[in-house]
Amino acid sequence: MLYEVRHVTTYRYASPAAFSQHLLRLTPRDTDCQRVLESRIEITPRAEPLAAQRDLFGNAEHVATVARAHDTLRIAAISKVERQEPSQFIFEAGAPWERVRDQVIGAGNLPPVAEVAPYLYPSAMTGSNAAIRAYAAESLTPGRPLLAAAADLCTRIYTDFEYQPGATAADTHPRESFQTRQGVCQDFAHVMLACMRSLRLPARYVSGYLRTIPPEGQERLQGADASHAWVSVWDPVFSWVDFDPTNDVVPGLDHITLAWGRDFRDVSPVSGLVVGGGPQALSVGVDVLPLTAVPA
Amino acid sequence: MAGSGVLNGREERLLPRPTPGVHQEAIGPDGAVRGHWRGFLDWLGELGTERRAAMARDLERSRAESGIAFSAREQADTAADPLPVILSAADWAEVEAGVIQRARLAEATLADIYGPSRMIRDGALPPGLVYGADAFAAHCAGWPQPPARYTYVYEADIARTAEGAWVCLADRLDTPLGDGWLIANRIATSQCLAQPFLDLGVRRVASHYARFQELLDSLTGWEGRLALLTRGEGDPRFFSHAYLARYLNAALVEPGDVTVREGAAFVKTLDGLKKIDVMLRGAPDKGVDALHRQADALPGAPALSLAARAGNLVMGNAIGCSVMAHRAMAPFAHVLAERLLSEDLRLHDAPCLWMGDPAARETVLADRSRWAIDPLNRRATAGDRAALADEENLAEAFRRKPERYIALRIPRLAETPVLRGGRVAAAPWIMRVFACWTGEGWSVAPSGVAAEIAQDTDPTTGGGGRVPALGFGKDVWVMADREDLPSMPSHSLLADRLATGHLRRTGRDLLSRVADEVFWMGRNAERAEGTLRVLDVCMRRYLSGNRTDAGPDLLVDIISSRAADRADLSPAQRFRDAVSRLVNDPVEPFGMPSILSALSAGAVRARLSISEEGWRYIERLSNDPRWGEGLSLRRSADLMRLVEDSLRNLAAFSGAAQDNLTRNFAWRFLEMGRRIERGIEVARIARRLAGEEEEDEESRLRAWLTLSDSTAAYRNRYMMVPRAAAVLDLLVLDEANPRALAYQLVQLEAVLAQLPREGPYRRAEHRLALSLLTELRMLDADALADTSETGTRTILARLMRRCERDLAEIADRISNSYFAHAEAPVALRHAGRTGAEVPGEAAADDEDDGTGSAGEAD
Repeated sequence: MLYEVRHVTTYRYASPAAFSQHLLRLTPRDTDCQRVLESRIEITPRAEPLAAQRDLFGNAEHVATVARAHDTLRIAAISKVERQEPSQFIFEAGAPWERVRDQVIGAGNLPPVAEVAPYLYPSAMTGSNAAIRAYAAESLTPGRPLLAAAADLCTRIYTDFEYQPGATAADTHPRESFQTRQGVCQDFAHVMLACMRSLRLPARYVSGYLRTIPPEGQERLQGADASHAWVSVWDPVFSWVDFDPTNDVVPGLDHITLAWGRDFRDVSPVSGLVVGGGPQALSVGVDVLPLTAVPA
Repeated sequence: MAGSGVLNGREERLLPRPTPGVHQEAIGPDGAVRGHWRGFLDWLGELGTERRAAMARDLERSRAESGIAFSAREQADTAADPLPVILSAADWAEVEAGVIQRARLAEATLADIYGPSRMIRDGALPPGLVYGADAFAAHCAGWPQPPARYTYVYEADIARTAEGAWVCLADRLDTPLGDGWLIANRIATSQCLAQPFLDLGVRRVASHYARFQELLDSLTGWEGRLALLTRGEGDPRFFSHAYLARYLNAALVEPGDVTVREGAAFVKTLDGLKKIDVMLRGAPDKGVDALHRQADALPGAPALSLAARAGNLVMGNAIGCSVMAHRAMAPFAHVLAERLLSEDLRLHDAPCLWMGDPAARETVLADRSRWAIDPLNRRATAGDRAALADEENLAEAFRRKPERYIALRIPRLAETPVLRGGRVAAAPWIMRVFACWTGEGWSVAPSGVAAEIAQDTDPTTGGGGRVPALGFGKDVWVMADREDLPSMPSHSLLADRLATGHLRRTGRDLLSRVADEVFWMGRNAERAEGTLRVLDVCMRRYLSGNRTDAGPDLLVDIISSRAADRADLSPAQRFRDAVSRLVNDPVEPFGMPSILSALSAGAVRARLSISEEGWRYIERLSNDPRWGEGLSLRRSADLMRLVEDSLRNLAAFSGAAQDNLTRNFAWRFLEMGRRIERGIEVARIARRLAGEEEEDEESRLRAWLTLSDSTAAYRNRYMMVPRAAAVLDLLVLDEANPRALAYQLVQLEAVLAQLPREGPYRRAEHRLALSLLTELRMLDADALADTSETGTRTILARLMRRCERDLAEIADRISNSYFAHAEAPVALRHAGRTGAEVPGEAAADDEDDGTGSAGEAD
């Protein structure tokens, strides 16, 4: 599948802002089953030249600075991405979770894996509590292969939680969404990560996009697509395997990967600071446009 | 005779009997006074009990004085023990070599953690210690071009065990910069104990700092700028930051003073943005990255790591160093020294166990009372701490998140002489030592700040205790080797440093934030005076009982120039109500409570830019407890006295500002604030008391003259009852009367003319002031006093309204020209998956562990 993704963020300020600075993680990354053909970021009004750098997790991040008075700021990221079907795994063939854990935390006989080490420990938004740990224990039964347990957890979150936009906010902690059993993809990903990390198992937060297919006979609405989030779990043999607890699927052709990190904060697509400006209004629109015909 | 091993009679009385089996700094194992203590103890013995107590008081006063000069806070520890700890050259050589090695080890470990992470790959360092720690700065890891160095300053808490071995209690890497205490302490001690200090040939610290200064100079270059970043007055280390900044010629800046543009850091000054080349970081690394660590960023903080990453800012120490400051690294120090330095660790750590090791967990749980548990992350709540006191909870926490805990034990420590009410006793002690990078290697200041530590003295289990926070303390005297003597610098560099530091401070680099504060101090001081004078005049008239002067309508007319008028009440009630609100109501805009709190807060923030004396008067005024007593007309005598005392303090503040502030930028902004506010007040009163020709005009004009403190001037000049034209001449047009409107404009214009401007033309605010002044100069008093048929003084009223409006406009324009970029940035909302907005920070969750204290950050 070939996609064009347009991700537009607009800030409107009540009075002109004198200065603003933004951290952008809006450039999709290349993966085993995804190739980025082109990607650009447009900022209005014109910003100082973008500073581009790569973070610890390998994501491309840009810093944009607007040092002149402005009352509106528009950040548009436009990318062309080719996405392929991921390989199929037999989850039951993976290593038992206890063995994976011992290896990654450096307690086993195998050398620790530095690449997964950042994703083992609870971060600011993936802390757990007793209730979350009890929930995790139901899937992570003794000796169970890690990937099989993760697939089970993914299905349970999909079944037990209600998708409810507006019930949570961008900084809602999984403790809270776990208690209400409500939220959106970000919350489901955080809950699953909290479960995995409470046992020091390697799992990361993936931010990306999901193509939505409109109901039969209806036009696709502009900006109706969404930025999306899911989880990736590491196995010593299969490496990273994606799980989408919002849809109970292993992400495939409809998922486009943007960035990954320990939790939402590491990959928040647009964040920043502003001097002046007074009250702000924020709007975000995402379009995932298939450039090749949708298979029937 | 040093080798005789015999105590003379005086020393026997002086020193207490040594605790058996505990190393004594002053007494050798043979019971004799150690050679390097002999001279000092001889001197101390000769002093006698009373003079020893007096010496302690002297030293305390001397410390308090240097504390006051740099920080508004009381320095709680100025009463620290006066006796120095004396170390032999051999002792010091061991400490110095150990500290240098630990500093090198810290640098090598940080470079590995944020670089290739070889120690984690090799299994030498458990990943949980790094990636499980909040202190790990993920955004500073894996840079293609890492900083040239991570560490430029290093401090360590060092102690000697009862057996006599040196151990390290803590590595201080995140926000060290405690050197200010070392230097100030040394100056105070060397003055109060001058004779033994000079006689014994104690090693000096000046050459150590001279080497650091050379390095900083070479890093900044000729044109470059050195800054010391502090969290500000509220930080317990502020004293040291302010002191060290002056000592090293660094600009003392707060997070909100700095901005990052195009990959470089700039300080916001009156003259615009100025690049910072080297920054000594006294604010915790978690708080200085507004983009990458938004949730933890200090108010107004910029995104400092961007400038460091772009290679345009040298930071000492680098962001991310706090990961190394935690004791959890201690159990691995040996391995890291072997792997990274190929050396054996010289200076060992006090017992410290990492709970990720199952055997260590057993050890601690089996003997819980002897260990202090320290969590890796310090977000713990009181509830978490209580939970950890419970054995079962602890075992469960260790099992569930073992990498997050360490157990520490301070062993029984050696004892050193201390003074107790003039008599000498012995107490366990520790010291903070200070090292800095010099470009070629590490240099350790041959001294330290030592402190007593309270310990359990049970001979079998003894030890423990808490490391006290750094402050003033016992000075540490290091004896010179005989060979060292000739090369020692003969005098301290401090005098030169302080002098040049002051020169720079008075230059153009006045921080925009400070200019803003000082400007508002000027305005608020004037506002306070305005309100006090109105209260004063009204109260006098009220108490006089004079029918005309104390008429309720007239009183209301005067007082409502300061307080909102409540038209629904009778005039007498209106007056009472207004007095009470001006004195007591915290939301009355020109009421004393709000003015005084603004004035006092501004004085604290602009502390280093106003004179010491001036600051005292503001403190005395705003801390006067009588302002909180709810005084009103009912207790008019008390209220009158309070008003008079307050006016005196304000006058003293103005005098101190005039006399003691050099005519630098700070003074100019104070002056502008004052002139603008007074100008607005004169215009407002003029309109109110002379805007119309009224029956009681004579009484009104007298009120105005009193308000303006110009009654005597009027009498001298005219020797007659007040007449409108004469009063208007004196209070509006007279450029020589400091209370007249024209005088305010003349002064304001003069100061505006001296401020930096961008092009060849006068700034808008300057032109506005010129135009006002010119209009005033074109008028004469008779024109001002002229009335229309209805009795209105049209020209006066129009001009006064224009003055009020234009002066406010000038104030706004000054703000926009000079302070606008000092405004602090705020976080932008960001969109989650649904575009929902981000609320405040979430509360701590139960992954946050245990026993952490909110003490020193590193």
